[in-house]
Amino acid sequence: MYWLKKEQLELLVKKLAEEYKIFGPRHDRVSDEVIFDHLTDLSELDLQAAIPYNPPKFILFPHFEEILKYRYEPETKEVRIEQINLLEPKALIGLRSCDLTGLLCLDRFFLGQEYVDEFYLAHRKKLFIISNTCIRPFPQCFCVCTDSGPAAKDGFDLDLTFTGRDYLVEAGSKKGQVLIDELGLAEAGPEASALKKKIIDNSVSSFDSFALENKAWISRATNRLTTGFIKPEVWEYIGNQCFECGACSFVCPTCSCFNIEDANLESSETDRLRTWDSCSFEGYTKMAGDNNPRKPVEDRRNKRFFCKLSYSQSKKYLRPGCVGCGRCARVCPGDIGLPNVVTYIRREITGESGE
Amino acid sequence: MSYYRGICNFCGTGCGHLLRVEGNRVRGVYPLSGHPLSHGRLCVRGWHIHELLQTEDRITQPLIKDGGHFRQVSYGEALNFVTERIRGIPGHEVAFLGSPRSSNEENYLLGKFARGVIKTNNLSLSSDAGQEESARVLLEGCGWPAMTGTLAELRQADFILVVGGDLTKQNPIIASEIHHAHRAGSFLATISPRKTQMARLSQLHLRPRPGTIFCLLQGLARILTDENKIDADYLSRFTANSQSFLKELKQVEIDQVVEATGIEKEQIVSLAKRLAESDSACAFYPTGVQSLDSRTIAALFNLFLLAGKIGRRGSGLNPVTGISNLLGSYDMGLSPVFLPGYAPSGDEREWEKLENFWQTKLDRWPGKNVDACLSEGESIKALFVVDHDEEIIRHVNRIKQLDLIVYFGAYGNPFASLAHIIFPRTSYAEGDGTYTNSERRVQLVKKKIDPPADVRPLWETLTSMARALGHDWNYRSTEDIMDEISQLVPYYSGLTYEKLTTRLGLKWPCDDLHPEGTDCLLAEEAGHSFQFIQADQPGERLAFDQEIEKDFPFKLVVGRSNYFWHQNSVMKRTFIPKREYNALLLLYPKGFVEISEEDASRLGIREKQPVRVVAESAEVRLAARISRDILPGMLYIPYFIDEMIPEFLHRQVADLEKNEEFFLPVRLEKAV
Repeated sequence: MYWLKKEQLELLVKKLAEEYKIFGPRHDRVSDEVIFDHLTDLSELDLQAAIPYNPPKFILFPHFEEILKYRYEPETKEVRIEQINLLEPKALIGLRSCDLTGLLCLDRFFLGQEYVDEFYLAHRKKLFIISNTCIRPFPQCFCVCTDSGPAAKDGFDLDLTFTGRDYLVEAGSKKGQVLIDELGLAEAGPEASALKKKIIDNSVSSFDSFALENKAWISRATNRLTTGFIKPEVWEYIGNQCFECGACSFVCPTCSCFNIEDANLESSETDRLRTWDSCSFEGYTKMAGDNNPRKPVEDRRNKRFFCKLSYSQSKKYLRPGCVGCGRCARVCPGDIGLPNVVTYIRREITGESGE
Repeated sequence: MSYYRGICNFCGTGCGHLLRVEGNRVRGVYPLSGHPLSHGRLCVRGWHIHELLQTEDRITQPLIKDGGHFRQVSYGEALNFVTERIRGIPGHEVAFLGSPRSSNEENYLLGKFARGVIKTNNLSLSSDAGQEESARVLLEGCGWPAMTGTLAELRQADFILVVGGDLTKQNPIIASEIHHAHRAGSFLATISPRKTQMARLSQLHLRPRPGTIFCLLQGLARILTDENKIDADYLSRFTANSQSFLKELKQVEIDQVVEATGIEKEQIVSLAKRLAESDSACAFYPTGVQSLDSRTIAALFNLFLLAGKIGRRGSGLNPVTGISNLLGSYDMGLSPVFLPGYAPSGDEREWEKLENFWQTKLDRWPGKNVDACLSEGESIKALFVVDHDEEIIRHVNRIKQLDLIVYFGAYGNPFASLAHIIFPRTSYAEGDGTYTNSERRVQLVKKKIDPPADVRPLWETLTSMARALGHDWNYRSTEDIMDEISQLVPYYSGLTYEKLTTRLGLKWPCDDLHPEGTDCLLAEEAGHSFQFIQADQPGERLAFDQEIEKDFPFKLVVGRSNYFWHQNSVMKRTFIPKREYNALLLLYPKGFVEISEEDASRLGIREKQPVRVVAESAEVRLAARISRDILPGMLYIPYFIDEMIPEFLHRQVADLEKNEEFFLPVRLEKAV
């Protein structure tokens, strides 16, 4: 481990900016929102800011993206396809461990053994990732229950832990080590590991004050979801509150569903677009002939939580599909984010009354 | 920076969002967590607003129709064309159709151009009678033409009543606020013939037969007096005419209410008691399509006034606007009955004031709304239209006969294709402007991307046009226009761009007394008594026409839905919401009519079976869609035009969209 002095941080960011487009959390003063954003003004990087409201998913898997262009020539009956170069070196600075875990889940989906998504790969290829330990949890967080925080375990090039004055730095890759060497960071002594552990332990134990419900029940909920023992009435109750807005999928660091659209342009070219999609939409599973395996809202809701927590789904990610960032709870107009769903499942198990 | 703060432009909720801009194109959207109303939520429409902004279907240059085809012209030629053509047409033969999606600045200027330059008082938005009626009732009753309560304190309200409409579809995030309040312990009741999602989430759902909400509200008021649940102290302190209202109320017979509405007395009593016993109570009703008629709004106002819930913290009557700047458009006087700031157009002193302020002579004759102008004979010759798609459906033949149609729009549509001349305009992401949401919150949206090269904002085109017609207009920015608005409209007198830039909106009245805006109407601060609204004919329409009912036993109503929202002209430019729309369109290519399970089984009608809906003057063939959400005796057709609303409804739509209380007596037959 190494020490990064607070004043060296600027140097590190500048150094990276020579080669990479810089992304990181910034704080919008008027709305008090923390946004993970492309930083054109590097001084806006705010590593002390709360967990950003948006996950960095959009950087690798944009909300709306042209993935290729084609043009059909009616006379020659030829189709010309134009590839779009998506490869662009990007540095993600100050990633929270939940979001880094989310990114690793996306990797499992898009870069699987059988199928590799070349567009995702192009975005992913030249990435420099700097994670940032959460020295305290934020009110919506429950990463300790989903094994995704408060500190990153792998997947980073550099990992930062704020010690109150300076940062402890750990290299997770060769690239990261090279940067450490280039900056000439001072090596931290043997006590560094113990210090980092203490900071993390401290963070974990402060979850107790607000995350008790979730913590104890996510694994039970996983069990119930996997075995399918949850009563249909519970899903109906949840379905009744769903506004079908798709927000839970859009803000989820691991949700990867997308839609493909071909948009005809006036220039008689066609853009092939990839956009975010959500299993909460009825049209998502609708088939020809009005057959919809998931027609009622509750069946669609049910599917999403199955995707986030069931064991069979976890086998694909090698971990739960939920990373405990709590964003779905904050954006949900129906107040049925994942923590509440776990609560309803718990009530069913224990027979507690609702409300 | 790639995420820019802004306000969603779809419905009248005015949620905060971030638009992601890359290379002068909007590439995504994200909710704004710090927004005081939406708190980081968006609905399905809001989550896809960037898709709408991708459309290639832009108008990018002024166009003049020549021999059936449009040819591109310069602004100079286009302005000459308009000034030459309009000179021969007297003001009263011209009408203006504004857009409730335009900013306050654009709508203010459009009104000033219509009244001050063209000298016409025929100016309106489209068929949004509900908003005007709501404003009139509230002005008469309490002096405030909009939401008297605040959404900020909703989670502390004891009692919430939602009347009519389908709020979860029309204004999902306001519905979400109500839902959150309910989950935090507020008592939630819904009055609606349809079993909406809001009704499902409510503790109490009263389902009056179509056309009887008014009657039910009067019944509730009667119960308050019968059970001695009125706050005499409040009535004597804050109301002016409670005695005459109470006398009038005696004519309402509960037995008749029960018979007309089909709701048991116990339920009416239980709701009335809940209302009376709550410390704070709010009522929500939609304006626009599926709004209530003025009589019903008045009955709701009277009920809440009788219960002492107007002008108190955490309480109030909350009309909810369906389109982004519907309220602001009225604030700016885009209506034949209101001058800017709701000054009544029948008041001579207000005209004099306006003449002095605008430094131009104004005509006083009473104007009409565009719908009336187009329905009544050949009273107008010219029409100025801003971004519009709807009016055409009813009046296409009449519109085709006009001598001059000037269309201002960002996107091409069927209305534009009928125009003689088209001016391009910027989209809402391409310029600055303020928008006023249902909650009276005036929010500034800043320019995020550059418009196409030859596209100018509406205010700039109007300014050039006014100058070409000899008026000395000198606006250089929307801020100049807001400065003028703040001098004319008392509610906006304390608003400046400087203030709005550093805040997420301010709720009017924003004036010297309330420099940071006003949360809600307070009886103590109002400075005047509240009035019960006298009904024109108490007890009217309680009895239905028995003869008609015999031949046409079903009551047909229309309504909105998430994806078909706003005539679908907006949604069809998106991808995901369009998919949801098309999915239904494929299943019911010729439209559908919803029928209750009970009626379907009684008549032996199966899902998707073709049926004939027969009204007195016309009939239509549609597919049946069996629904658990509607009452027996009721039929429901979702309101989305063009593809699905057949000719049959076009003829009725003017009445149908007036308000929720309207229904069409029909009979249902199996089609062979």
